[in-house]
Amino acid sequence: MLAYTLRRLIAFVPTLLAASALVFLFIHLIPGDPASILLGDTATPEEIAALNQQLGFNEPIYVQYFLWLGNVLQGDFGTSVFFRQPVLSVIADGAETSIWLATMTMCWIVVIGIPIGILSATRQGTWIDQVTSGFAMLFASIPTFWLGLYLILIFAVGLGWFPTSGFPSLSDDGGLWNLRYLLLPSLTLAAPNAALIVRLVRASMLDVQREDHVRTARAKGLSPSRVAIRHVFRNALIAVAAAFGFTFAALVSEAVVTETVFSLPGIGRLVVQSILRRDYPVIQGVILIIVVLYMVINLLVDLSYARLDPRVSLK
Amino acid sequence: MNIAQQIYRIFAGRILASIGFAVLIIVVLAAVFAPLLAPFDPLDIDPISRLQEPSLEHLFGTDQFGRDTYSRAIYGARMAVIIGAGSVAFALLTGGLIGMLSAYFSRLGSFLMRGVDVMMAFPALLLALVLMTLLERSVVNTIIVIGIVYAATTARILFGMTLKLKGGVFIDAAICSGAGHASILFRHILPNLLSPLLVQATFIFAFAQLQAAALDFLGLGLPPEVPSWGNMLAESRIYITRASWLLIFPGMLIIFSVFSMNLVGDALRDTMDPRFKDDIAGV
Repeated sequence: MLAYTLRRLIAFVPTLLAASALVFLFIHLIPGDPASILLGDTATPEEIAALNQQLGFNEPIYVQYFLWLGNVLQGDFGTSVFFRQPVLSVIADGAETSIWLATMTMCWIVVIGIPIGILSATRQGTWIDQVTSGFAMLFASIPTFWLGLYLILIFAVGLGWFPTSGFPSLSDDGGLWNLRYLLLPSLTLAAPNAALIVRLVRASMLDVQREDHVRTARAKGLSPSRVAIRHVFRNALIAVAAAFGFTFAALVSEAVVTETVFSLPGIGRLVVQSILRRDYPVIQGVILIIVVLYMVINLLVDLSYARLDPRVSLK
Repeated sequence: MNIAQQIYRIFAGRILASIGFAVLIIVVLAAVFAPLLAPFDPLDIDPISRLQEPSLEHLFGTDQFGRDTYSRAIYGARMAVIIGAGSVAFALLTGGLIGMLSAYFSRLGSFLMRGVDVMMAFPALLLALVLMTLLERSVVNTIIVIGIVYAATTARILFGMTLKLKGGVFIDAAICSGAGHASILFRHILPNLLSPLLVQATFIFAFAQLQAAALDFLGLGLPPEVPSWGNMLAESRIYITRASWLLIFPGMLIIFSVFSMNLVGDALRDTMDPRFKDDIAGV
């Protein structure tokens, strides 16, 4: 286990550095001069030159990278050219919305996805299984933004039960009640991901069901529900936990779309708007944070997976 | 076995998958014969008949510029097939080659697969978004961007499968009979991978539709004038309370085609070589 952990950590660092270099390079390959975009069409060459100097855009590219990396490691992600604020504080402003959205979405995924997955697996081959599996695949086939627009149309515009867009901070008037702004967005975001979890729980439970220890449990006379939960589901959960990294990636990707549909002031919409505004430092900062977070989550998932299932670290 | 027999073997007794296959054939036919099937020019602006409800003249109604939504939907099928097929081709050619070569030449592989790891460190849509900011909005660039995202996945899958095959006795036999590297890779290993590749292709095609629609919606996909289902939804977004048909028809077409492709992919996977079944996750 220790050797496996070390091996994973040693492989982790170069990948992390390469990914950060890629994040840095992407932004500098964008056509257009950042200083002139920032200052608008009326800027004089002197103003552009002064801004280039100020923001370090005149240095060679590798110098810029190391300057940037050094600053990032000290928590300085630069200054947003649009907001004229430190990037980290711009990202922090969006963090509350995104974290609440992600938390609510994960709750839906667990509450909806896992029981339906178990139901589908324990009723394998029956009409219940066919209907749930069919619906799971259908929900995985719906574009997130389309579902979001439809929910807005029905529940916000039509029935008027929920607000159509936005999200005031929980520290504003209303407190926890403000979470109702996130109900439709979190359901939108949960739908395709819960569908994936249903299919995953079902598939891994069917795998475990074929194993010897399950036959033993049945043979010694345990009730079917006890076998399903204690002996099959608990083992199947290992595979589901291993998919958490994948779920995170899917959540991040779809949050970009969902936050845009519902005009939520989160990090996902920040990415899209920053791309349209060519706000380089913000794009860099957000992408870097998400990539690092994603890599760390994947590493932790792999390590805990190896701990839960010792066969993994021996491979 | 000829192709018709194989298709029968895959779809016999699978009603949903058969319907899915039929839907896909219809989409492809609509794409090919779009100019014949569309009653109007999809780009023709007619300010007098803007935002009209579905009627006999305009089956799916008209949009905010008075363009015929039905005609645009038919041409949208063409874009769906082009984007899907293009992304599949790009992902399978680049990713497939990287995966196979990496598994076969292990020293090259240790280098190439690290690159794949780095690509996989980016969540799919985020990678596509960032790449799209480097490139102009165009059909080819959308295909490249989506293709790159799935090339990494494909490379990893094919890497694993090629490794499994590489140790087989039939490869030793091929080496003994004097086969070169190219011959072993493409005449002995590749034919074994064709059916998993086909399954992977169906899933990439389905994902590509969703990714392309999301990119269109965010204003970072196809150029806005191109009649794609994603663009139709993106453009008419602010009119949905007045003209719900602008939301229903393109959305349903995306869902039907993605759902159908997933059903077909599932059916194909069930009839696939059991050695590789765990390698392809699909939906």
